[in-house]
Amino acid sequence: MGSLPKWASKPCIMGIDEAGRGPVLGPMVYGCLYCASSYLKTLATLSFADSKTLKEEKREELFEGLKANDSIGWDVDVIDPRELSAKMLKRTKINLNEISHNSALGLIDRVLKMGVLLTEVYIDTVGDPGKYEMKLSKSFPSIKFVVAKKADSLYPVVSGASIVAKVTRDHALKEWVLDETAENMHRNFGSGYPGDPQTKSWLGDHRHSIFGFPTLVRFSWGTCNTYFKDIAEVLWESDDLDEDGGSNNKNGKRQLKLSNVGFISKRSEEIESSGKGRCRFFEARKLELLTHF
Amino acid sequence: MEKTSIDLKRDGMEMEDLSGRVHQLPCSVKFDGPASVSHYFKPKPSGVGDEGLPLQQAHFRGRLLQGTTLNLPHGYSGFVLAKKSPDDNSNSNSWETKATFRDITYWNHDYVPSHNDEFLRAFHWLTLAKALHNPVTPEELASSSNVL
Repeated sequence: MGSLPKWASKPCIMGIDEAGRGPVLGPMVYGCLYCASSYLKTLATLSFADSKTLKEEKREELFEGLKANDSIGWDVDVIDPRELSAKMLKRTKINLNEISHNSALGLIDRVLKMGVLLTEVYIDTVGDPGKYEMKLSKSFPSIKFVVAKKADSLYPVVSGASIVAKVTRDHALKEWVLDETAENMHRNFGSGYPGDPQTKSWLGDHRHSIFGFPTLVRFSWGTCNTYFKDIAEVLWESDDLDEDGGSNNKNGKRQLKLSNVGFISKRSEEIESSGKGRCRFFEARKLELLTHF
Repeated sequence: MEKTSIDLKRDGMEMEDLSGRVHQLPCSVKFDGPASVSHYFKPKPSGVGDEGLPLQQAHFRGRLLQGTTLNLPHGYSGFVLAKKSPDDNSNSNSWETKATFRDITYWNHDYVPSHNDEFLRAFHWLTLAKALHNPVTPEELASSSNVL
């Protein structure tokens, strides 16, 4: 970490934006860009715009420019697709909005801890802007938050953050090293958006009947289910506990639901063991005497 | 069903040693057969848990699995059994050893393996079984009647 520039101890403004929230594969990136409030006027002349409206070369050029600019600071949080899938498929699921919020909170925290005097933060909304603002203000009472839809096209400091995020996401995907070592894998991921024909054909080429997809893919995306229709079914212990979880048959599901009502202790008993009359020692250890197999 | 026989072999020409490759997952995969496990399932060491168990991390179908490898207790071996083809012994239920293993890696979905997990606790039985089935020596018998 380099030394903190002098302007950072004067009131600073920061923009936060994300890239890669929608895609079915690759990381999601949160980016931030900050500068002294007094630098805002100059910042507005740097022709930052919502990264989606810019061509790739222009984005790269602007990113190089802001990296070289001593009056600007920036940072990113790259959220691995494995982490996105894992969190969204946890026993207690964490949804994408919460993951996004936490990433933004993490960036603010990191920049504050570096010693930057943040007084104002502009951020593109995720979910309800009012609730999001309350959450942010509660965590950082000394900062004034502006949470808005389309913040990336309204405020140059957010446009700048969107460029940081977008370029980082593009690079991360381009340089992605696949965990899997199977043959016949290729890297024509496309943009990662479910509608992108190149992404669709990549998903088709990399579907696996046992493992589903390489871990680059966000398994929690609804898009995956269309590819998983005829692959090997996988039933999870944790889903049996979950009323909404994918249970195998209708009757089983109904029974589980009924037994859930008001009988928490009974529920855990059922999970521990279905064999009645066994000694508790064996029940608790899932051990059973097998005479026929 | 009348006769069940299991042919346990520990060493053999074609006996494969699966140590390091036997996994117990917290899910049921509705599939029987070979799969390219080593190309897709890539456990990575993830430090040591509070209880001193060496931990690993892996992903399967998008879920985070946390596991630990345990060596089978001294004196025990793991066997992969397969039913002998029915035509050579149509009436009997015979099993033969296909592979052996000396350790097993078991995985939890979302939580760190612990000595409190059923899977680890199942091994308590081995100690208990030993105590139950050990022949009682005359000395032990004498000393226990002394206590009474």
